[in-house]
Amino acid sequence: MEFLQPADWAEALAVKAAHPDALPIAGGTDVMVDLNFDRARPGALLDLTRVTDLTDWGTDGDWLRVGAGVTYRRLIDELAGRVPGLALASRTVGSPQIRNRGTVGGNLGSASPAGDAHPALLAAGALVELASVRGTRRVPVTEYFTGPKRSVRTPDELIAAFLVPARPGAEQFAKVGTRNAMVIAVCSFALSLDAATRTVGTGIGSAGPTPLRATEAEAFLAAELPWETRGAVPESVAARFGELVGSAARPIDDVRGSADYRRHALAVLARRALAWAWTDPGGAV
Amino acid sequence: MSPVVGKPVNRVDGPDKVTGTGRYCGEIVLPGLAYGLIVGAAVANGRVVSIDETAARAAGGVFGIMTHRNTPKVANQPRLIPSLAGQPAPGESFFPMQDDVVHYWGQPVALVVADSEEAAAHAAALLDITYEPGVPVATIADGRASATQAKTLFGGLMPATDERGDVEGALAAAEVTVDATYHFAANHHNPLETSVTTAQWDGDRVTLWDSTMGVRASQLTVASLLGIPLSDVRVITHFVGGGFGSKAMVWPHVTLAAMAARHVGRPVRLALTRPQSFTSNGHREEQEQRITLGAGRDGRLTAIRHRKLSVTSPFDDWAEPATGVSTQIYGCDNYLGDHQLIHGNTMTPTFTRAPGESLGSFTLETAMDRLAYELGMDPIELRIMNHPPVDNHGNPWSSDGMADCLRRGADLFGWAGRDPTPGTRQEGNDLIGTGVAGAGYPVAFMMPVQHARARIFHDGSVVIQTSAQEFGIGVTTSMSQVGADGLGVDMDVLRFEAGDTDLPNTTSAVGSMGATMQSSAVHNAATTLRNDLIAHAVNDGKSPLHGLSPSSVKVADGRMTSTLDPSIGESYADLLQRNRLLDMEALGSWTPPGMDTPHGLLTFGAQFAEVAVDKDLGLVRVRRMTGVFAPGRVLNPKLARSQLLGGMLWGLGQALLEGNQIDRQSGRWALNNLGEYLVPVHADIPDIQVDFVEVEDDVVGPLGVKGVGEVGQVGAAAAIANAVFHATGRRMNELPMTAEVVMNGGGPG
Repeated sequence: MEFLQPADWAEALAVKAAHPDALPIAGGTDVMVDLNFDRARPGALLDLTRVTDLTDWGTDGDWLRVGAGVTYRRLIDELAGRVPGLALASRTVGSPQIRNRGTVGGNLGSASPAGDAHPALLAAGALVELASVRGTRRVPVTEYFTGPKRSVRTPDELIAAFLVPARPGAEQFAKVGTRNAMVIAVCSFALSLDAATRTVGTGIGSAGPTPLRATEAEAFLAAELPWETRGAVPESVAARFGELVGSAARPIDDVRGSADYRRHALAVLARRALAWAWTDPGGAV
Repeated sequence: MSPVVGKPVNRVDGPDKVTGTGRYCGEIVLPGLAYGLIVGAAVANGRVVSIDETAARAAGGVFGIMTHRNTPKVANQPRLIPSLAGQPAPGESFFPMQDDVVHYWGQPVALVVADSEEAAAHAAALLDITYEPGVPVATIADGRASATQAKTLFGGLMPATDERGDVEGALAAAEVTVDATYHFAANHHNPLETSVTTAQWDGDRVTLWDSTMGVRASQLTVASLLGIPLSDVRVITHFVGGGFGSKAMVWPHVTLAAMAARHVGRPVRLALTRPQSFTSNGHREEQEQRITLGAGRDGRLTAIRHRKLSVTSPFDDWAEPATGVSTQIYGCDNYLGDHQLIHGNTMTPTFTRAPGESLGSFTLETAMDRLAYELGMDPIELRIMNHPPVDNHGNPWSSDGMADCLRRGADLFGWAGRDPTPGTRQEGNDLIGTGVAGAGYPVAFMMPVQHARARIFHDGSVVIQTSAQEFGIGVTTSMSQVGADGLGVDMDVLRFEAGDTDLPNTTSAVGSMGATMQSSAVHNAATTLRNDLIAHAVNDGKSPLHGLSPSSVKVADGRMTSTLDPSIGESYADLLQRNRLLDMEALGSWTPPGMDTPHGLLTFGAQFAEVAVDKDLGLVRVRRMTGVFAPGRVLNPKLARSQLLGGMLWGLGQALLEGNQIDRQSGRWALNNLGEYLVPVHADIPDIQVDFVEVEDDVVGPLGVKGVGEVGQVGAAAAIANAVFHATGRRMNELPMTAEVVMNGGGPG
């Protein structure tokens, strides 16, 4: 197996163009598991840890642009106020050791339906920045996932960054796991309430072939929330919102949970996330 | 110098472990070492049709490939008997690669030996093996119709049925009855160190560095299978990275390592991979238990019927004995306990921490909680009222402590004033509940005479030796304490050596018997040597102690002094040097009282748990646990607490997380790694309190030590399940209690 170690971003893109089958590796928290279990035998590994551009973050117009190599630990420590939902999700990733290594870029690269970052990115309306020697494009995360562990990323592209609105709404994230850490989600849910635009964003994890949005639930809630008065959310609205989130999921039965339980749990998580987000409009934790 | 037994002495092997200088069996480096890798069957039932080795042999670095075509026939397959009995102790009465038949998924069908682990793994992947698969039966669901009543368990060592009185009549006449059926998923041990053996031949003699809970059991088993004298097999084990029963019996890979080393003419290290550890060293079997209690309105038990159904291998009538505690911890004239078996396509299950009694007690102790609710009685008072002064044969307990454990635990936990009404305490989304369970674990005197050696050199330094190895529980430390007190020296001058069949015999450290057996032999060796030294002094005309009665001499810090005049005395070293003795040594032995000793033999305890159950999601989080135990004399409270706490965490894992199932189509375990077979992590572990009730016991050995390896797990899951009922009003009939089990009402009922 070849081990490719580009020194900078330009070289990384050139190497990826020359070795489209090379598997990018950053923190290695997903890739190494697959290698150790002999689930993957890539022809080459493309080590991105020397590309310092990937570990930067900063504003880009109305967006916050976060390099694909920023770790979960740094998201929690440095960006909790700017990406509150994602920071909440990051706290549920693996263990401290894994959060010190793992990156959102890696999560997007693996494109697992259970990726903890994905629901928060969906709810926030994030963009994924993909780059190759051919150029750079920004894809809405809602269009990024195409199937289980599949995305629109082409073989010569690398994930450069993700972008979220620089001014976040009230964001929440909730996850059902069978234990308190080091656990793949049974299901997860992220919510973003933007009072300025009166819009609602949602993201569902581990309950379908890809991370999902609950678009009908978003439209329903945006129309029903008492944005003007900031009064309490009527119980019937919360219940209906939960139902719509549950029915937006496309879960299967597997060892972690049944499809029925996942739909039920998503409805519960959606109601709770709504209650938290509505009473804590700042969102940031 | 005050005695060190009973003091929370730090582990003497701690620095070796944390600095990496301690050598585990997979870290033994030998010149020319080769690496073996087992290839497990990819069907659960059928035949190996062909094995094409061409690509594997061409891969490079391969020294040899063993299959059923070239593996030597075993000389003598011993039957399965627990290693505690001190006889050959194969994990199953079957040795693989003797023919082309496949009985279970993962059964070794080939063994590749190469110049590195990676080369072995690569070549193993290139072996082209084809099978003629049959239809596997490996689950209760598929095998129920073929279940039969077992006659005996453990190679005939114990009866499968335990009956007294008239159970059916007593149940029919009972004023109150409780009837419950439970289903328990299979459990795996998952020590951090998977099993590993390094084998080296020197002529006709083989040395094995084997990650085992009993060097003697490995020696006996390998010698029998290879058909060579015991004197030609030496087993060395200095560090073991956890066992929990997976290394209590001797599995085929140990002997395969020796065969492979002979096959390639080099020393061979054979380690199980983590996935292989799910198919190569036994498991706690999938099982169903049904219990029916009969009682009077006053709470007195009148009948217990306790039945178990489980899956075993095609070769062995193995079941964890589930009724050893339920037959005696509560007094009851009418009792029936029995075991039914399905012979299926699995390997032989094996001891898994608190074997049998952890689930047997789960069944009994959750049923007792149901009975307490039926009667409107406090569950602690119900247990104390029914706990008898004698065992099921009418023999008095060697030592008791059950009621004291329950009462002490109730005080520590804050049980008083508890409102028993289920489902009435809520904090946020969580329903809160508390539960209690009794605990007991048998003290099983199956083992032969135990030996240890104590030797003192003329500079006053001391070595104490016995064969049974340290396997992580701290015997190096606690036996140093016992030896130091027995001989009357400071711990600093004493080294405890173990883990070598060349040393005096002690049996496998299994069944919570390690501390009892080893401390008895070590104590007797050390006190024998002390008595010899004192005798020497009082008979030595040049000793200041000359002429004294030996009983008038006491020893502390290596110095013998007159009890009549403390200014008169001399050190051991002075005595030896003056007499030009380089050393003196003594063998000590201890003969266990035997299974027929007229005493009830259980180690008792009590478990308490508080849980929070998410009312909408069914997620159970344990908020705190209290365990109080009566293990006789506590040699080292720090070590004992760690072991008991570990057992309680095992109970927590068994209650909430740990479970595996065999896929009905393929016959394969669904989970084979620690990413999917979940055990508790730090974030799951609540505040845990461990306390002791020390009870005197002059039956179980000269020091009165009962074990703490298993009893910490017994009752822990039951206390959690009883707390879940208190929180939710739902009875849990399935383990693990996953969120869905809790939401769906607790399982089969």
